[in-house]
Amino acid sequence: MNILDRLVKFDRRILFVFVALAVIIPLLIPIGLPVDITRPVKHVYDRVESLPEGSIVVVSVDYDPGSEAELYPATEAFLEHCFRKNLRVYMMGLWPAGPKLGNMALEQIAPKYNKEYGVDYINIGYRPGGPVMLVSLGRNVADLVRTDYAGTPIDSLPLGRAVKSARDMDLVMTLSAGDPGVLHWIIYFSARYGTPIATATTAIMAPQQYPYLSSRQLIGLLGGLKGAAEYETLVERKARAVAGMDSQSIVHLLLVAFIILGNMVLLYQRRKK
Amino acid sequence: MKRTLPIVIVFACGFFMIIAFFIPLRGFQDVSQTLQNWYIGVIAFFVFIGIFNLVKVNVDKIQRRLRDWQYNVILLIFLAIMMIAGFVGRPGGGVFLYLFENFHIPLGATMFSLLAFFVASAAFRAFRARTPEATLLLIAAVLVMIGRVPIGYYIWHGFPDLVEWIMTVPNTAAKRGILFGADLGLISMALRVLLGIERSYMGGGKE
Amino acid sequence: MSLILFLVIAGIEAEAYDTPNDDGSSITTTWTTDTKFESFEILRSENPEEGFEKIYEVNKKTSRYIDSQVQGGVQYYYKIKGQSADIELLSEAVGPVKAMAQIFNTGRSNIAICIFILFFAIIYYITRARRGEKLFIRKIPGISAIEEAIGRATEMGKPVLYVPGIMDIDEPETIASMSILGRIAEKTAEYGTPLYVPTSKAMVMSMAQQVVKESAIKVGRPDWFNADNIRYLTDDQFGYVSAVDGIMVREKPATNFYLGKFYAESLILAETGFSTGAIQIAGTALPDQLPFFVAACDYTLLGEELYAASAYLSQEPTQLGSLKGQDFGKLIFVIVVVIGVLTRLLGTEFFYNLFNTMP
Repeated sequence: MNILDRLVKFDRRILFVFVALAVIIPLLIPIGLPVDITRPVKHVYDRVESLPEGSIVVVSVDYDPGSEAELYPATEAFLEHCFRKNLRVYMMGLWPAGPKLGNMALEQIAPKYNKEYGVDYINIGYRPGGPVMLVSLGRNVADLVRTDYAGTPIDSLPLGRAVKSARDMDLVMTLSAGDPGVLHWIIYFSARYGTPIATATTAIMAPQQYPYLSSRQLIGLLGGLKGAAEYETLVERKARAVAGMDSQSIVHLLLVAFIILGNMVLLYQRRKK
Repeated sequence: MKRTLPIVIVFACGFFMIIAFFIPLRGFQDVSQTLQNWYIGVIAFFVFIGIFNLVKVNVDKIQRRLRDWQYNVILLIFLAIMMIAGFVGRPGGGVFLYLFENFHIPLGATMFSLLAFFVASAAFRAFRARTPEATLLLIAAVLVMIGRVPIGYYIWHGFPDLVEWIMTVPNTAAKRGILFGADLGLISMALRVLLGIERSYMGGGKE
Repeated sequence: MSLILFLVIAGIEAEAYDTPNDDGSSITTTWTTDTKFESFEILRSENPEEGFEKIYEVNKKTSRYIDSQVQGGVQYYYKIKGQSADIELLSEAVGPVKAMAQIFNTGRSNIAICIFILFFAIIYYITRARRGEKLFIRKIPGISAIEEAIGRATEMGKPVLYVPGIMDIDEPETIASMSILGRIAEKTAEYGTPLYVPTSKAMVMSMAQQVVKESAIKVGRPDWFNADNIRYLTDDQFGYVSAVDGIMVREKPATNFYLGKFYAESLILAETGFSTGAIQIAGTALPDQLPFFVAACDYTLLGEELYAASAYLSQEPTQLGSLKGQDFGKLIFVIVVVIGVLTRLLGTEFFYNLFNTMP
């Protein structure tokens, strides 16, 4: 029985072993491939660069632990950029687990820049209601937000007092893994109030955002771990996302190799018939 | 009455929400907002129904000692632990946060990571040049897979731009086509539901 | 020492008007100027002779302000003060302006026209169908395979698994899924094949139980219905998919249906189902999940086919009429797209602007 005969009855668990090795080995022995910067990511970076000091950026953490691997690095990189530019961060989430994950990032990044909670950044926590909530938030924040994530009255915090409606928000960055997420921000917030929206999404969702990029309803996009790696490179913060690029490159090449192998099996089967 | 009342409610609420989209008057917007708030309230109430069903089904399996009943015991124990941890202690802290960060997050990430393996096996099985269209799909998939990672740029500097073109032109065009077709289908289905023509979502029933 | 000029001259051209298409709660001010200012102050008064008060300040990039702190029926006057390090300029007072509610949002009139045309087309074809006219609907392979798939499960003595997506009942895909579930439940009840419906949302569970029960009663098999087969698992995305995978691996259903709204879990479900040897029919409207289902499932309903499935399965003339109306809408849409592309290529914006929407 030759190798192609064996491949016809291929046990996919062998494939899983190869994939596992392709992920683990580059993490242990980094290759250090350079990360190229794409236009959608550069647009997000440029927009943040153009914001004057003190501008308010809404960071909406709209993902859960399942998407943490792809979106948490983007969260940290974006927060790093905001704090370095002395922008004020107004964090919230449309998913219950989102603000908790966002808080972990804040606790990592904010102390590096001596940022003070309540003055330079704030976390108002999970806000249920999706579209309805976003419409209300843009119209009058006080209708919805009485306390922050930890139960502190919002009016007792300077940044809490400063954000009254969409007019006070200079940019929204939604880190989105599904519904509710970037689409709701575009339809129910940006279309109504004109606030520019940037997004970081999982790689699976990224292709779906291109129509919104073309129509300028989104100002930029960080797609998947690659997008996060590009942003980390731009803000000179080489962390988890950049480290993951070597593995991702090898795995993609492995997939291509297996696709070629699969087609060889197909050709072989056709010849046999 | 049992069948007519829900249809009347669906019709009235549905058409009101459509009309409220076009009429900016405060009264209409307030009623529209109230209906949506009621929906959120109803959803919140249903959380208890879900938990009740979960407990009922699992307790039943334990009592009847069905296959693998031990796992049902573990489920109920962890349900109780998370609920108690959530109610007791400070908001966003303590035992609940510990369980969330050290159990929930890694478990969710583990399940998500299965995609890496399943994409590989699905790609091996599905990307075969059986027809001309399948061949085109195969070529596009290979180009995008290589071009979207740093090694693609390393192999050829033009790869990212080529992939960018594939994503922004043919991919976007195809997705728009599917999206608009689906949205038209959605409008048609919505109208069938609003007019009471489509009732199978309520359970059986002839026109 | 910097020189500050306070000149009441027309260096800033300001305008104030009732905000269009709103509920009468705001007035919009806009301004233009050739001078470079660092910031602008918006000043308001109900009586210019009594003076103006500052109500807001914006940065230099902004040239529009919507004042939503106004009372209906009251007349207001506005001035704009431009400021920088060396200069201050004040516009002339503009007004009086009153905030008024509009009855119809004219910015959305193009949407209203499109919806009216589509509704008219659907109702027209429904009426034709009701008159007994035979309407041709093309075969949809995924839907045609449903009966065969249920038959396969019955022959093998194995259950059917129906996954209605992971989103709640406010999603149109979930409603479409419930409609299809009703039809599938009729078949499985008729054949006596067990039907498992694990749900991610409690409201979907309640609705699914009701749908399946009614279907069983409709075909005269109320005894077949088992509420425990339709249960709530968890709201958590990956908790749900791991539980469904467990059901697939333990119960080994012969047929899996994935009809509804899915996200990243779609491929995990489909691949696990494939590994158990089940025949799989999927359908979702989200384009980014369709490729995974197409790659891993035997049949896939693409986008609108999911919404059409229930109508198609019923074979009721009025439902099929609505599909024809939807197709007519699609034809209009294609014509509009072609005209739009041609007019843009020729350099005219008129046709394109007809379809612009305002908030």
